Amino acid sequence: MEISPSLLNNVLIPIVKALVIVNVMAVMSGVLTIIERRSLAFLQVRKGPNRVGWEGSLQWVADTVKLLFKEDVVPEKAEHLIHYLAPVLVVVPALTVFAVIPWGPEMTFRVPGIGKITTGAYATDLNVGLLFILAVTSIGIYGIILAGWASNSKYALLGGLRSAAQLISYEVPMGFAVVSVILMSRSLSLVEIIEAQRRMHLWFVFPGLLAFFLYFLSGVAETNRVPFDLPEAESELVAGFHTEYSGIKWSFFFLGEYANMVTVSAIATTLFFGGWLRPFPNVAALSFLDLIPGIVWFLAKIFVFMLVYIWFRGTFPRYRFDQLMDLGWKTLIPLALVNLVVIAIAALGGTRGLQILAWILCGGFALAVVVVTRTRSRKAARAARPVTPVEVRA
Amino acid sequence: MSFWDSILLLDIFTGLRTTAKHLFRKADTVEYPEQARVPSDRFRGMFRLDEERCIKCTLCAIECPINIIFIDWHNEKNELGKNEKVLDRFDLDLKRCMFCGLCEDACPTNPKSIWLKTKTYELGTYERDDALYLDIRKLTKWDHNVKPFTIVEKGE
Amino acid sequence: MSAPAGIGEPEPPPDDHTLLGLREMELNFGPQHPSTHGVLRIILKVDGERIVSARPEIGYLHRGTEKLFETETYPMVIPHTDRLDYVAAATNNHAYCLTVEKMLGLEVPKKAQYIRVLLDEMQRISSHLLWLATAGIDLGAMTPFFYTFREREVILDLFEEYCGARLTLHCMRIGGLLEDLTPGWIQKVRDFTVPFEARIDEYEDLLTENRIWKLRTIGVGVLNAARCVEMGVTGPPLRAAGLAWDVRRAIPYEVYPELDFEIPVGKNADTYDRYLVRMAELRQSRRIVLQCCDWLEKNPEGPIRGKTPRVIKPPVGEAYAAVEAPKGELGFYLVSNGTNKPYRLHVRPPSFINLQALPEMAKGHLVSDLVAVIGTIDIVLGEVDR
Repeated sequence: MEISPSLLNNVLIPIVKALVIVNVMAVMSGVLTIIERRSLAFLQVRKGPNRVGWEGSLQWVADTVKLLFKEDVVPEKAEHLIHYLAPVLVVVPALTVFAVIPWGPEMTFRVPGIGKITTGAYATDLNVGLLFILAVTSIGIYGIILAGWASNSKYALLGGLRSAAQLISYEVPMGFAVVSVILMSRSLSLVEIIEAQRRMHLWFVFPGLLAFFLYFLSGVAETNRVPFDLPEAESELVAGFHTEYSGIKWSFFFLGEYANMVTVSAIATTLFFGGWLRPFPNVAALSFLDLIPGIVWFLAKIFVFMLVYIWFRGTFPRYRFDQLMDLGWKTLIPLALVNLVVIAIAALGGTRGLQILAWILCGGFALAVVVVTRTRSRKAARAARPVTPVEVRA
Repeated sequence: MSFWDSILLLDIFTGLRTTAKHLFRKADTVEYPEQARVPSDRFRGMFRLDEERCIKCTLCAIECPINIIFIDWHNEKNELGKNEKVLDRFDLDLKRCMFCGLCEDACPTNPKSIWLKTKTYELGTYERDDALYLDIRKLTKWDHNVKPFTIVEKGE
Repeated sequence: MSAPAGIGEPEPPPDDHTLLGLREMELNFGPQHPSTHGVLRIILKVDGERIVSARPEIGYLHRGTEKLFETETYPMVIPHTDRLDYVAAATNNHAYCLTVEKMLGLEVPKKAQYIRVLLDEMQRISSHLLWLATAGIDLGAMTPFFYTFREREVILDLFEEYCGARLTLHCMRIGGLLEDLTPGWIQKVRDFTVPFEARIDEYEDLLTENRIWKLRTIGVGVLNAARCVEMGVTGPPLRAAGLAWDVRRAIPYEVYPELDFEIPVGKNADTYDRYLVRMAELRQSRRIVLQCCDWLEKNPEGPIRGKTPRVIKPPVGEAYAAVEAPKGELGFYLVSNGTNKPYRLHVRPPSFINLQALPEMAKGHLVSDLVAVIGTIDIVLGEVDR
């Protein structure tokens, strides 16, 4: 049977790609849970789950099966339809975003019966990819708000409201950080951004150090992770917006959260760390690194970000609601605006201008860290504490 | 914390470094069913009763703060024609026991006839009744694996 | 369920409205809430997330211990005292034994006193470690929990080796102690205590300078010295308010006058200062433990129990004695009618009295701060409800 090229390119390949991406992502979220639990355990001098499968590697399968068969409890006075809809609203946008994430460069391979196929390792290369991501990820928040509201529980309501405020506040600095990358690459297409980094011989993290910092911080906040995990703050709101969820609906929230973490990491990789490019893509001496396919580079970079997420979770306390707002509005947004102006000026100078900015920023930061750490000992800081021992006589 | 420390997030990095250091330390976990802690010599665990040594004085039952020891005895003539106390019942409501060791303190015999230093701590049961009353047969041979009675004298 | 009016907070009038003409939301906090440290229930009135009033409801762990004391002979009371503040059993034993000894006029041998002080201070370290673990996890810092439990485990192992139990120690007797130290125990204590300083530094690295920790604790739950005194609040909350009141120095007992240690005092009476005071107390307790180790190594011989009568029958009368428990002043008030059972034995539990300050400390803060405030008071419900 002959398959027409238009059918092949417009229908069959996208469907296959979409199926692969959605399934891979769902599995990846599961695998990430076990990676997170084990890594967190290592940070905390314990072992973590290590019984199911080799070193606990199949724990997520056991968990999924358990969640699938668990009773689905819905509170009597909940809004049943919305209660049902909310987890779906969280998961669908989280997975939709993966349509535009470029996992690797164009690849050519031979399929028996069809012939040579050349296609990118991404579902589609939208020319407004970045806008699409920003738009779709913000839909997920509806799921959280509705979950909080429909549960008819006070804790869930507080969690949902916190989440709404948090998401809205942190969309702004995140948007500004993304805009600065657009200024540098002059494109909204994610594939084009990666190509721009190859052309300019530099990862955008160097000129956009501050932008990356802002983006990642807002990303952590948007995915409701420590130290910004207020909507589900366990010690305050029991479980926040998903207090009243159980079984597979609850696991949908979980899936959504992990998918969002992957999204934030993937976008950070694409925008700031050269996507599928190897380190120093223009240094010929390192060309042996090209043996490793681009998709592996991309996944490795994502994985590093995931580890940073876990590392944060293992280290920091949680912000308070109003402090979080303060941080967002009073610190991050002004910083983002300043950063935007600086990058815009540097971008006027084209590649050269960006390279100069990169040297200034990174050099200055390194220098400052060295100077400050050298001039200050921790002992001295400890001696300056307010607690003063006082003797009391009987 | 100075202004520059705060700008450069030194506090944040100090915390991150502390957890990162722990990443390479050995976990302190004892993986229970495979590895088990050996309790110390003085560990107060499951009871044992030596019926031969017991003089049926019921002091342990009197001293018990929550009255969970039940003793019944009657007199019998032994071969010498003397009255001898014979235990009818020595029951212990184990699920209420708080392992304070006062019964062992109270026991007047030397060595003690009732003691808790058997190093046995795996007392979970599947049936409530199993822990409800431990009759004398269980108290005398609770577990064949427990170590023989060790008296910890001072400065041993 | 209509609760009686809170301790510090008068019931608001029924037509009390907020700015927008809306009623406050009533939020039931506990008793099965993850951060109420057991079964404390707090009825909150919140305006958004701001706390208008907080009313603790206690009694979910009430076991009638004080009444139970009256049915037990004097030695039989000791295991029950373990279960008041179950994370600091040694100080409970100590306070009770002190009271009965005061009543009987018993002399406790020097060696027993040193061992008691050693056990007390180890218990203080373990209790403060547990506090740090739970207070950290209340504010979302989950890792200190595991680090402190690692150290606490060593202390519990040492307790197990000395007295046979890890938590409910039952380690002291009226007139002294039951058992002598096992050989090599002092060395093990030393092996733990000497490197412990570095471990405290580790906890401080994680929290003390951390900006989030500071944001969450500075200025939260302020209770000044005057209010502390009025409410009878003792322990770290009082000392964080700047008043150097410590029973170990103020009403010295056992061998504390011979020991060299300092009383850490805070300034601002907020959660952060209470944290600093407790961290400083960890270091001070470590010093005391090492001094006790030195003394006990120099004087290995000696009796550990004074001349205690076989049946303890204090004369008719009353006595009160207190120790500095990890949570504050823990006292026992004993009324004897000359029989072998207490006529009345009242406990002055620090947690219970410190908990009174909760409505005042939490008022005006956010729900998130409430967990910080509960954590900073360091309550143990076994002691609150008895």
